[in-house]
Amino acid sequence: MDKDLALFAVDQASKLGADYADARLEDHYNELIIVANGKVQRGVINRKSGIGIRTLVDGAWGFQSTTDLTKKGIRQAVEIAYKVAKASSKHVQTPVKLAPANSYKTSYKTKVKTDLENLAFEDKLKQIVSWEKTLHTSKKIVRGLTEYTGIKIDKVFASSEGANINFSNSLVWISLKADSTQGDLTQSYEKTIGHSGGYEIFHRNNMEEIASEVGRKAESLLSAKAAKMERDAKIILDNDYIALLVHEIIGHPSEADRVLGREAAWAGTTWWAGKIGEKIGSDYLTAYDDPTIPGTLGYYLYDDEGVKARRKVLVEKGVLIGHMHSRETAAIFGVEPNAGMRAITFEYIPLIRMSNTFFKEGDWKKEEMIEETKHGYLVSCMKHPSIDDKRYNWTISAQEAYEIKNGELTTHLRDVALTSTAPKFFKSVDAVSEKVEILPLPGCGKGDPMQALYVGNGGPFIRGTATILGVK
Amino acid sequence: MASLLTNLKEAGKNLLEIAEKKNLDEAEAYLVSNKVLTVRLVNNSVFEAKGVHDIGVGLRVIKNNMLGFSSTADLSKKSLEKLVDAASSTGKARKLPFKYSFTKPEKIPKVVGVYDRKLAKLPAEKAVDLAYEMVEASLAHSNKISDNAGVLNVVCYETLLLNTHGVSAENSGTFFEVSLSATAKNGQNVSEGSNATAGRSLKELKPKEVGKKAAEMAVSGLKSQKLKEDAYTVILDHEPTSEIIGYLSMLVSPMIARLYFPLLLDKVGKKIASQQLTLIDDPLMPSGVGSEPVDDEGTPSKKQVILDKGTLKAFVYDSFYGAIEKKKTTGNAVRASFAVGVSSFPGKNYNGEPIPVPRNPYFKPGKWKREEILEETKKGLLVRHFHYTRLTNPTRGDFTSVLRMGLYAVKNGEIVGALKKSRMLDNLLKILENVDAVSDKLVVAGSWGQYAHTPIIRTKAHVASIE
Repeated sequence: MDKDLALFAVDQASKLGADYADARLEDHYNELIIVANGKVQRGVINRKSGIGIRTLVDGAWGFQSTTDLTKKGIRQAVEIAYKVAKASSKHVQTPVKLAPANSYKTSYKTKVKTDLENLAFEDKLKQIVSWEKTLHTSKKIVRGLTEYTGIKIDKVFASSEGANINFSNSLVWISLKADSTQGDLTQSYEKTIGHSGGYEIFHRNNMEEIASEVGRKAESLLSAKAAKMERDAKIILDNDYIALLVHEIIGHPSEADRVLGREAAWAGTTWWAGKIGEKIGSDYLTAYDDPTIPGTLGYYLYDDEGVKARRKVLVEKGVLIGHMHSRETAAIFGVEPNAGMRAITFEYIPLIRMSNTFFKEGDWKKEEMIEETKHGYLVSCMKHPSIDDKRYNWTISAQEAYEIKNGELTTHLRDVALTSTAPKFFKSVDAVSEKVEILPLPGCGKGDPMQALYVGNGGPFIRGTATILGVK
Repeated sequence: MASLLTNLKEAGKNLLEIAEKKNLDEAEAYLVSNKVLTVRLVNNSVFEAKGVHDIGVGLRVIKNNMLGFSSTADLSKKSLEKLVDAASSTGKARKLPFKYSFTKPEKIPKVVGVYDRKLAKLPAEKAVDLAYEMVEASLAHSNKISDNAGVLNVVCYETLLLNTHGVSAENSGTFFEVSLSATAKNGQNVSEGSNATAGRSLKELKPKEVGKKAAEMAVSGLKSQKLKEDAYTVILDHEPTSEIIGYLSMLVSPMIARLYFPLLLDKVGKKIASQQLTLIDDPLMPSGVGSEPVDDEGTPSKKQVILDKGTLKAFVYDSFYGAIEKKKTTGNAVRASFAVGVSSFPGKNYNGEPIPVPRNPYFKPGKWKREEILEETKKGLLVRHFHYTRLTNPTRGDFTSVLRMGLYAVKNGEIVGALKKSRMLDNLLKILENVDAVSDKLVVAGSWGQYAHTPIIRTKAHVASIE
């Protein structure tokens, strides 16, 4: 990949008269392996290189991508990006302005110990088949599923303001799922392991033990009791459940484009638009989005607008502090840009996305949280979300729960789903544990065409109240 | 275009030659040129106009009954050599426990109305203007409309499938999808409305109609009441019915059923829905949103009944899942991207192995006129929009959707008023079993990339209000 092509593209756009232009020149390598019940369903290697050029002309955005990396191909793409921006500018009510940002010239890499391409695909496939086999801890496991993804991206970002940033990233994750059956009852249990880095994550973790634990959990749910409806129950949510909760009711509504109504036709808007500075939760509630944490799926040091990444404070001690921004939304809100823009490949225009969104730790030991709960539930591991368009009313199911009686875990529960509204839950938080865990969430969807992006989410254990829904 | 197709043919021929030299038993090249132009509207403005032109090839190879796959966007000879090696390497540990071979040549039927030169040649500037017409029409409908957001996607694709059995199937098509979401305000009252449709030719693209319909729905919801939680008779308009078709289509894919949604796995031959419901997949339908002469393995398209008067007749197959279950392909191979970080634009993808899914599914129209269904509903709801629909328990069929907008109370055959945001919580199989009326006309409806030709249906479902 000739890295100067990114500079060539932005020069061409400037020559045409673009007020601003940036280019992302990228080289992608992807692996995918899916194994179900001992059979390989997918074994894939994809390679793709190309460039995406974004132009700002008379206050309107244009974008074009191409896989034709000849100068002629790039010039043609730039011309289209310029032309569509110019055409759009006729129909823009408020011309786009960009908040100022420093232009960096730098290069950085994700730390990788075992490069994906240095291992034979065949060997990886054999391992993944073996982990799927391990999910079948007994005949009660009727379906096992392992889905592995490995991604390597070499990216050059260049802008007409002089930025030139090289980033070599590598990401790996695997989901392990087991379905168990007894009579008419079917249960399932799932776990995802992943990081930014190389294949070494599977050497660091005892994958056979993890797979076997997933199988055993799926089996154990067959003898668990079905959860019953209970309004305003005291609940302690573990890191895994919290990861999905923070994703849905802190992360998405913190995207400034949603706050501005720009996602209204798709995923929706945000209930807390215009509430910055207002108290929306208890003093125990603090949440961040932070891409600078090495090893997480949301890791990066510069976003797809070349803005230097930093920790964004979203909520502090229950007060709504700020949102995730692009340079454009930062200008609208009158704040400094905070590096929230990402696209999954050069083929897509960047959007405001989560990186690693998580709740801050507290000072409780999780054992204490349980011990000091007279009647309640320990709710574990995310399952399915269903959230309204304003991210206000939420329902999220869990893989399992335990009833707490007089500070002790008692009955094992299955088919657990919680529901509440975001402010009601936030205000109910009364205890937060001392250890944060950030988990991989590889398939966050947003945009049109849809961009499925990898992010990190998590937090400590959190205690609050919500309604437990029974099985219908 | 002619030179592009020549380039694709050349690359495909080279690939098969390289595969033969490397002593592979079989090879199949799927070459794609996919152009997408997207115009996004937000806050009553054109927010961004963006284009993609993706050209590449997906290669499957078989050696000693081991199946491999790889793809690339680089069609140079050097890259194609690498591609064959990569596909071979992915196959090395993938010995199939059943006999598998790529498709053989068959006569390819013709389908009319799936490629429109005018849509293919639509200048980007004109597409921007057309998209903006939705906003203008919405604002012109009522001074209560305060905001509009939407999208126009225009797709033009060309594909070529070549394999070592001599299959050579060319396929080209055009497609658009258009949607608008309008917001109406009157004092403290705020309401949303939406409309979306899709088609294959420029003459079907009527942005003003979409804008007006979205605005009508938004304004109609300004005076709304809170719904009382209950089990209701529910009329599902075209858009929510198209989502039901979408879910049913996923459930009859042997791949999706085996991997993710096993609800119908053991139900072939069984009654799973009301007698009123017949689901047909017809990729030969003239101008069908999913119509094409061949599937993405080069198998000729054919019409088939999936659900016949409530009885599940069969799943749909590509050659791979057909071979697993010792059945012939039904011509339902679709190349959709199947990995995060890989493009998933509307149109054609070359970077994934085929998935078996219905290609142009629809519920067979019933005997009811749309108005009659409403007139003969004593007490119930009219649901015109689904949002964030999920099958929350894919084994049991628990189904939920947020009724974000377009929800109305029906009494004695008339719409008596709009209702506030609510949630449908029921079981998909029960919803299908309870269908007692199907309208007599098909309309293209859907949202966010998924469209179907659909009637409206009446069923029963549990609905609760949400704050």
